[in-house]
Amino acid sequence: MRRIYQIDGEETECWLSHDGRSMILNTPDGAIPCQLDAAEAPGGYTLRVRGRTYDMRVAVGPDATFVHLNGRTFAIGRVDPAERLAGNDGGAVDDRIVAPMPGVVVSVNAKAGDQVKEGQPLLVIESMKLETSLTAPRDGVIAEIPFAAGDSFGLKATLAQLAPEEE
Amino acid sequence: MTISKLLVANRGEIAARVVRTARVKGIKTAVLRHSSEQEGPAHLIADEVVTIEGSTPVAAYLDIAQIVEAAQRIGADAVHPGYGFLSENAAFVAALEKAGITFVGPTSEVIDLMGDKIRARAFVEERGFPVAPSAIEDDDPATFVERSRTVGYPLLIKPSAGGGGKGMRVVREDGALEAEIDTARREGERYFGDGRLFVERYIERPRHIEVQVMGDGQGNVVHFWERECSIQRRFQKIIEETPSPALTAEQRDEICETAAGIARAVNYRGAGTVEFIYAQDGSFYFLEMNTRLQVEHPVTEMVTGFDLVAEQLRIAAGEGLSAAQADIAQNGHSIELRICAEDATQDFRPAIGDILLLDEPRGEGVRVDSGILDGGKVTTDFDPMLSKLIVHGRNRAEAIARAREAVQNYVILGVTTNTGYLDTILAHPDFASGDVSTGFLAEQADTLTAPGEDVSDLLMAAAALSDERLVSDVMQIPEMHRKMGGWRN
Repeated sequence: MRRIYQIDGEETECWLSHDGRSMILNTPDGAIPCQLDAAEAPGGYTLRVRGRTYDMRVAVGPDATFVHLNGRTFAIGRVDPAERLAGNDGGAVDDRIVAPMPGVVVSVNAKAGDQVKEGQPLLVIESMKLETSLTAPRDGVIAEIPFAAGDSFGLKATLAQLAPEEE
Repeated sequence: MTISKLLVANRGEIAARVVRTARVKGIKTAVLRHSSEQEGPAHLIADEVVTIEGSTPVAAYLDIAQIVEAAQRIGADAVHPGYGFLSENAAFVAALEKAGITFVGPTSEVIDLMGDKIRARAFVEERGFPVAPSAIEDDDPATFVERSRTVGYPLLIKPSAGGGGKGMRVVREDGALEAEIDTARREGERYFGDGRLFVERYIERPRHIEVQVMGDGQGNVVHFWERECSIQRRFQKIIEETPSPALTAEQRDEICETAAGIARAVNYRGAGTVEFIYAQDGSFYFLEMNTRLQVEHPVTEMVTGFDLVAEQLRIAAGEGLSAAQADIAQNGHSIELRICAEDATQDFRPAIGDILLLDEPRGEGVRVDSGILDGGKVTTDFDPMLSKLIVHGRNRAEAIARAREAVQNYVILGVTTNTGYLDTILAHPDFASGDVSTGFLAEQADTLTAPGEDVSDLLMAAAALSDERLVSDVMQIPEMHRKMGGWRN
């Protein structure tokens, strides 16, 4: 019953249990008895935690849960640890530049085999009418830049790949 | 002439907003929809929906021939262009004229003049209105870089055909000038098909103040006072208000009269906005004139009580202005917030997603002009602006308080939006005191995007307890333990 929750880029692994009286969210910082009851508004809930109640609106998406609380909106990414292990492709995140948005490549400023420095511009993309320069995440050698100027790419496409760091 | 059927050649919130007024006036309405586009609010309230085709949805909305043909086919006698898309396209206006269809807006000549930033600026300067020091590439391309240097730093490079902040570059030192000119030219070519540039002195800590004007094309021009739009990210406005907290009564009269004078000089017809850059010392310079309805027009409507779309339709029908200058007063204070699908903590990166839950704020002095529906999809096909939240209060403090309460109660779940960020801006002491400039958001970036109170525990509890599979798995376990006799409590 484990889940990895992603909030603002921070990951926390939790598991949910029940002690016969109440649901317990077990976090690395301790066990939190909690209860969630539907309220009147669309998507409305009342959360009870540590003797306090919180009115919130909740919507459950395929990969993330969205919560409106105290006038703010939060996205909580949900990852099933088992699925993550199964889907692990072995490439370290730091070795890749992943498309933050679908878009078009404007220019490519490096090619496979080039030695690059951290922060060096590798390619310029255009998404939502804005030009963004994507830079090398670390010093290294380019393994692949699979797109050319003018090519379109989708969300999360790998736009550049660095060769693995030698130990 | 009378308008009996109006085609709105736009989409999203502005299409719905124009349809609402047309309906009140008893005009039949039609709106467009690209074959791949989600249904929006306008499609629910218009009398007719015309499907348009194109390789991309944006291309379809820019397809002059197709839209003119659609207007003819459905028997529309007028077209309202909204803002963006074809709203400032002289060729579109000319094509409609040829087809005998009324364009709700100015003449193609005025659009042409004001759409060319260089000619517009020269026109305004020749007639004695204030403009900032500048260099225009077209005057002598060979010496453009040299002449740019003499404008002085910091300077701003702009595509002459530009708008919306696209291709604009601030240069603070001579070493960067030529590289920035190259970048701006490339962007100008790509966005506007025109790489010509001009350069002007960049006013430090400027405010953006603009004036709503309306002309009947018969020589009569009135203004509907100013709007301040200094709260901008990436040169695009996200909070607008009226009256401007920066102006004294005398300055307000001066800037509004200047705007009306510029509109009179072109015998302006329809709704337009004259934009100024306003320096900290109170001087102001002509920036550009937008020959259409602005995104932020509702704040003007909230304080003056006039329906600007109704005025546009009157003028297009040849009925003239409904009011004289003396009839147009500012009453109270209004603020507009642009609700955008974007992540303010990630340099305003546009966000996409499905709208899982939508609940708009209501209440006294609260207006929502929305382009989205519950269950809709936010894609990258169009601009990230989803809707506009407009509030009115008796004074600025009340307007800010109402805006804060309303934006906090604006529930959009399923796609990241800037509602929390907008609230943080409204809560900032410099915003409250009116001490802002167009650089405010960049200067205060760290403060405005600082993480709030840590509520991770609550969020994880909510995520876990609303996860049906997780909860049902947990509830199976006691059952299993009981069966095995191992469950004790």
